[in-house]
Order: sequence, then C-alpha cells, then structure tokens
Amino acid sequence: MNQLGFGRFLYLALNGLVLFFLLAPIAIIFVFALNPTPYIQFPPVGISLRWFEKFFASSQFMASLWLSLKVAALTTVCATVVGASAALAIARGGLPGVRLITAIVLSPLMLPAILTGLALFQAYVLLDIGRPLWGLVAGHTLVTVPYLVRTTLALLHNFDTRLEEAAQNLGASPMRTFFEVTLPLIKPGVIAGAIFAFIVSFDQFPVSLFLVSPGQETLPITLFNYLKYDLDGTIGAASVVSILLAALVVIVLDRTVGLRSYVKL
Amino acid sequence: MRARRLNRMALFLLPSAVLFTLFFFLPIGMMAMMSVLTGNPVVAPHVAFTVRNYARIVEDPFHFEVIWTTIRIGLWTTFVALLIGYPLAHLMARVRSRTAHALLLMAVLMPMLTGIIVRTFAWMALLADKGVINQMLAAMGLPTAQLMYNEFGIIIGLVHIYVPFMVLTLTGVIGAIDERLEQAAQNLGASPLRAFWEVTLPLSLPGILAGSLLVFALAISAYVTPILMGGFQIMTLPILIYQQISASFNVGFAASLGMVLLVISMALIVAYNQMLALVSGQRELQ
Repeated sequence: MNQLGFGRFLYLALNGLVLFFLLAPIAIIFVFALNPTPYIQFPPVGISLRWFEKFFASSQFMASLWLSLKVAALTTVCATVVGASAALAIARGGLPGVRLITAIVLSPLMLPAILTGLALFQAYVLLDIGRPLWGLVAGHTLVTVPYLVRTTLALLHNFDTRLEEAAQNLGASPMRTFFEVTLPLIKPGVIAGAIFAFIVSFDQFPVSLFLVSPGQETLPITLFNYLKYDLDGTIGAASVVSILLAALVVIVLDRTVGLRSYVKL
Repeated sequence: MRARRLNRMALFLLPSAVLFTLFFFLPIGMMAMMSVLTGNPVVAPHVAFTVRNYARIVEDPFHFEVIWTTIRIGLWTTFVALLIGYPLAHLMARVRSRTAHALLLMAVLMPMLTGIIVRTFAWMALLADKGVINQMLAAMGLPTAQLMYNEFGIIIGLVHIYVPFMVLTLTGVIGAIDERLEQAAQNLGASPLRAFWEVTLPLSLPGILAGSLLVFALAISAYVTPILMGGFQIMTLPILIYQQISASFNVGFAASLGMVLLVISMALIVAYNQMLALVSGQRELQ
C-alpha cells in the first residue's frame, strides 16, 4: 500500500511539473510588464505601469492594435457567415460526399498557415492585386472558418432533426422553422466559434506575415519586428493586454456555452 | 443524424465554396504552377515549363540539411510533447471532480489562446543569456548556460506551444478507454503500473499516433519560434521559404519549397485522419 501511495505521489508531482511548465511562462510575462527596469530582471524590483503607458502612448503600437482589432472584427463577421452556413449545409443539406466536404472546410486548421500565406501572397502578386485590407481579411477568414464549422457542427450533431420536423408538422413554414428552431439551436455554437475566430485572427501571424503592407502591420507583426531587436517591458505590456483578452474569452466561453464540447480534436 | 436527400439547405454551402475556390484552391494551384514555370505568366511574354526549381532543391546539400533540421526539430518536439502531455491527458481523462477537470482544461487552453509571439517572448525572457534562468543560476553562484539561440531553445518553445494539442487529442482517447479494464487487470493481481503498461497504454496507441502526427505537422511548419529562439542562426524550411520571398523575391523557388512542405503536410494530415477514424471506430465498437 505504501508503494501505491508513492506511485500516486509521483504521478501527481509529474503532472504538477507539467502544469508549471505550461503556466509559468505566462506568469512571467506579467512580472516583466510590471517590473520597472528596462531590461529583464528577476526577482522583480518593483511595480510600475510605465510599460503600459509606453505601449498605449506609442502611435506605432496603437495603430497596429487598432488594425488588428479591425481585421479581427471583419474576419469574425465573414467567418461567422461562411462557417455557420457551411455547417448547416453539411449537417442538414443532405449533400453527397459530406465527409470530404467537411475535411476540406476543416483543412486550413492543419495545413501550415505559412503555406496559406505564401499561396495567397503569390496569387495576389501574380494577379497584381497588391496588398489590400480585404486580401488580409480573406486570408484570416480562411484560417478561422474551421473553428465556426466545428463549434456549429458540434451543436447540430447533438440535436437531431426531429425538432425541426416537429415544427414543420405543427404547420411552420421551412423559413419559420429555420428562424425559430434551427437558428436559436445553433446560436451558442456560433457565438463560441465567433469568439474563437476573433482571438485566432487577433493573434494570427503566418498569414499576416505575407499579406500585411509595410507600415500597416497588425499587432503580432509589430511585436515580432520589435522582438527582433528589443526585449523590454513594452512587449510585456502588449502581451498582457492580449493575454487578458484571451482569458476574458475563455471565461465568457465557459459561462455561456461550456468549454467541454469545443475542445474535441 | 439520419442521412437525408439533397435539399435547399445545401445552398448554404455556397459562401464557403466561393471562399475556398478563390482563396484556397486557386492560390495553391497557382503556387503549384509557379513552381514549374520559368516566370510570371501574367507579365512575362514567354514562360516555359521547367523543373529547375526542384532540381535546385535536390542539387544543393544545404537544402537537404534544412529539411533534415526541420524534421529533427519536429521529431524532438513531438517526442517531448508526448512525454509530458501523456500524464496530463491521463489525469484529465481520469479525474472525477468536475471543478478539477474544468481547472485543468483552463490550464491547457490558456496557453493555447495566448498568441505565439507572446509565448515565444516569454521563453526568450526565460532562456536568454541574461534571462530569468541564467540570472537565477548566477545568483546561486552556478555557471550560466546557453539555453537559446540553438535547437534546444527552439524545441522548448515549440513543445510549450504544441503540447496542448497533444493533451487534448490524448484526453479524448484515454477517456474513451473503459476504466474497468484497468481495474480488472489490477484485481487479477497486476500492479497499477503494469495495468497501465499492458492495458491502457496499448489501447491509447491510436491516440498517441494521432497526437504525434498533429504536433509534428504543426512543429515543422512553425516560423516564429524557430526564428526568434534560434536567434536567426538556425534555418528551417518555413524560414527558408519566407527568406526566398522577403530577401531574394524568388517566387518560383519559394513555390517549389512550399510544395515540398505541402506534400509532407498532406501526407501527415491523411495519416492523422486515418488514426482518428480508427479511434472513433473503436469507440463505436465499445
């Protein structure tokens, strides 16, 4: 029995270490963001908000933060329309080859995003399109649609079609059934997917790397360019801002629809 | 879910069909085309078919070295992610308390929802020559170590980014294994370790393969972490691809390198889907 207790202890200790490995780097970012020294210092020597001030006062950071939010918002709208409707067609359309169609709309999730970026960049160059904002949004939409498809499908698969059939049997038109039964049914999945899409677009790097126009960069690209030469607290402050955004998303997701059903890989 | 005949709901596929045709299939087709042409067919009057871009990859041993470095980093990342991801996935699949499960899930999702730049920055701050770990080593009077600007740093950073994918894949698979099988083995006299080794581990093999394929596919296509953690010293395939565009503007050669990465990734995706199908097939049998 003693041996069993030791084994259990080892098992939990190992898991504790793994969790530490996962979370400590995120905690360390907060230390940097709040630490007043301009270089990395550990243990920290004090608390200051100067890096946050510098971040929010920098016109370059603010311009890219604003662009990122704009791109993420536009992407969320496009991905929601495209992804949720694709999920509806897959689950309810009676399409032939539905497995292949599902695999295709989910494929940007696994296909290297750097290839998506490269291919779009080449296409824009070849067709002499330049690097317009809609081109960037299209790239982001492509890589975020799978999240919408997945979260919406999760709900559509949970409910069978009998609810819709019942509505129609009771005399509702197909249109009314759609708006009063199907849409409310998939709403939580669509919201969850939309939130995911927003965060993924906000943090998106490889596609943006190829598609942003110089001088008009999204926040991750600006941070990357900054990181190449500098490691000061401003990056920490910028990181904290995006971590808080992500944390907010996780909490909202958990409160509204529950996390469990969206993390099946 | 019953199979139905084609109906009006199928029209909802139109937006995604348009998006994927214009912004996915067309560009990837153009990339494939550019990799075998001598120039841009839109502006250049005479373009011809050529295999010189692929010949260039094969002729120069440097490119093999780059591909091998990419694969080596991918393999190490996958191995370490499996090693540390499995225990956590096991705990998540077996923990009974709902609160504990939700907390574990959040701990796994938090890093996943934090951007790659942010996480790479965190590791740079930890592992840099004057980073947290070396400062602590120095404070304790220990010699400092070179922890980044090498493959070690890249692998640590990549493991941190991709271990959640491993954990989430494995949790589903381990959770689907009937716990009573393990208990039966223990009732028959096997130690918990042996029960795990001979029952749970073999049954979770398809999940291990699926998770490993996923992490490997993601790791070989990473750009940010290898370039920043490697301090521009180590060349991987994605870095080489971007360099061909940004530094030399060699679109055709970048396209052929892209095709190499595409073929490797496609093979991995197909294998991953096969594994997942195997896993869900098992689930249906139970």
